[in-house]
Amino acid sequence: MAYLSISNVSKQFGDTTVVDNFNLDIEKGEFVSFLGPSGCGKTTTLRMVAGFEIPTTGQIMLDGSDITDVAPNQRNVGMIFQSYALFPNMTVAQNIAFGLRVRKETDDMVKQRVQEMIALIHLEEHANKYPFQLSGGQQQRVSLARALAIHPQVLLLDEPLSALDAKIRVSLRAEIRSIQKSLGITAIFVTHDQEEALSISDRVVVMNVGEMEQVGTPFEIYNFPKTSFVANFVGSLNTSKATVVDPAGGILDMNGIRVHSESGVQGKKKGDVVMVAIRPERFSFSWEGKKENVTEGTVENITFLGSVVRVQLLIGGIKFNMDTFNRPSLTLPKIGEKCEVTFSSKAVLILDD
Amino acid sequence: MKLKFKSLWSWIWFLIGTLYFILPLYATLDFSLRMERDTIGFKAYRVAFADPKFVETFARSNILAVITIIVSIILIVPTAYWVRLRLPQARRIVEFITLLPFVIPAIILVFGMIRVFSTPVRIPFTDIILIQPLTTLIVNKFHLGTYILIVAGYMILALPYMYRAVDTGMRTVDVRTLTEASQSLGANGFTIMWHVILPNIRASLLSGALLTYAIVVGEVVLASFLGLDTFGPYLFLLGQHRAYEPSALTFVAFLLTWAAMGIIQLVSGEQGQTAGAH
Repeated sequence: MAYLSISNVSKQFGDTTVVDNFNLDIEKGEFVSFLGPSGCGKTTTLRMVAGFEIPTTGQIMLDGSDITDVAPNQRNVGMIFQSYALFPNMTVAQNIAFGLRVRKETDDMVKQRVQEMIALIHLEEHANKYPFQLSGGQQQRVSLARALAIHPQVLLLDEPLSALDAKIRVSLRAEIRSIQKSLGITAIFVTHDQEEALSISDRVVVMNVGEMEQVGTPFEIYNFPKTSFVANFVGSLNTSKATVVDPAGGILDMNGIRVHSESGVQGKKKGDVVMVAIRPERFSFSWEGKKENVTEGTVENITFLGSVVRVQLLIGGIKFNMDTFNRPSLTLPKIGEKCEVTFSSKAVLILDD
Repeated sequence: MKLKFKSLWSWIWFLIGTLYFILPLYATLDFSLRMERDTIGFKAYRVAFADPKFVETFARSNILAVITIIVSIILIVPTAYWVRLRLPQARRIVEFITLLPFVIPAIILVFGMIRVFSTPVRIPFTDIILIQPLTTLIVNKFHLGTYILIVAGYMILALPYMYRAVDTGMRTVDVRTLTEASQSLGANGFTIMWHVILPNIRASLLSGALLTYAIVVGEVVLASFLGLDTFGPYLFLLGQHRAYEPSALTFVAFLLTWAAMGIIQLVSGEQGQTAGAH
């Protein structure tokens, strides 16, 4: 049985269904991210695990116990908030000690645990400072230490990096992941930032309008999106309709261009229309070597994005983005020029919807 | 040039405003120092402070103020907290109720209270008394019922100030998130209130308490009609029979108010720092 099991959970506010029949099993020590746009129900699901919202239907089991209706202060769950939620009247050490004091731990135990936690987040010299004397990143680290001090069974992180600047965000997410791995704690991380979710998680749950769209490893989510929502939400993508020409051979007709897909078109008949997706980085110029799915396109625009150059191509009347690494030896066609591009049959994804 | 002209006008208006407030106060101080003919001295203050009635009424008003403040905090803090956390839709109604003392004069309030609480509660259509009137509740010659009534009245008069102060304090700290953070760490309602909410709104509580204090100590109508010897009616009576002592006491009252304002500034400044970046 899974360590944390969310079964058939739905949540309604009045007539609005915010979470609809959510099912997920999380193993002990796993780091799972809920990824989705605003209003997709990811935070509500997290809040149901924390106990701040009671599911309208369904059940939440933690380590074999039903916690669906258990009060938040009776669940052994640590939570980190976007706004840090540190107690302004308490120092760093007092904030970390709060949960232990509530549990009536001995003074020696509290002192020792606070020191351990402060060392864990490398804020030894700030122990006696108040939250307002710390930077955003430091405050969030204190919040992490405070949540971990009580030895929670699950750590819940509600967009903990959203209020931080880009550089701190990257370093802190690595720190969170490293601490989570070293302690072996089960964690659920809510974010709307796909890069964050993909870089930090063992598994990602992509959510949309209260429903789970896809669950998988970051590799699966990025490379094999099952729905057009996932494909579009995670990374940039070219999509187009195509007609099945040869179901067994995976041959499709995309606005007059013959395309071979290795992901297969099982269950489809000749003449069926399917949604095809190709990531921009899966295209390459045919002079670079690969000779599969070769087609001609007209360069409409070229944009430099630092390490990547994005080439906008018009292929068979459809606009496609192609990303190629920016290297000194790179030869680019001019705008308006025709060029041959190629993409492997593995790059052609057939979406469910 | 235009800016300098504007700045000059600002200073002129500031000066006029200052004179408007300072001159009457200066006149009161000056008058209070001239009890002895052709000499400036503190005789009015000595006489006023030496009056045992002053000590008695001032002490009584202070005790009533402290009780009013404590009971107000016990009632208003959980109410404001609950409205902010669980009943945001009730906020307008609660705010409307808290503003009622501004539109209902104290005289109406006291007559209403006397009418309701000085008559017994009977079983309808009979003469059987169910509850004796509150004003007849006397313990060892101490009119407990009347004191309960006056504290309740003071609480109503101070409600707009106390509620607003507490509510503003709760707005400056994110009450909901702090509550949820405390809950996730295992805290119960009492711990959250005592260790998290109250310390973080202490400046607001203090300003609400000092405003309540100012209202209670100077209040005349409720005390007069309920027949209690407090500082407000004493000062009023003194003003009708004496000339210099009321001026002296008025000036002292001003100093006390200023001291209270200073304390509010000091504490809210400190809390502003601790609660600043959350």
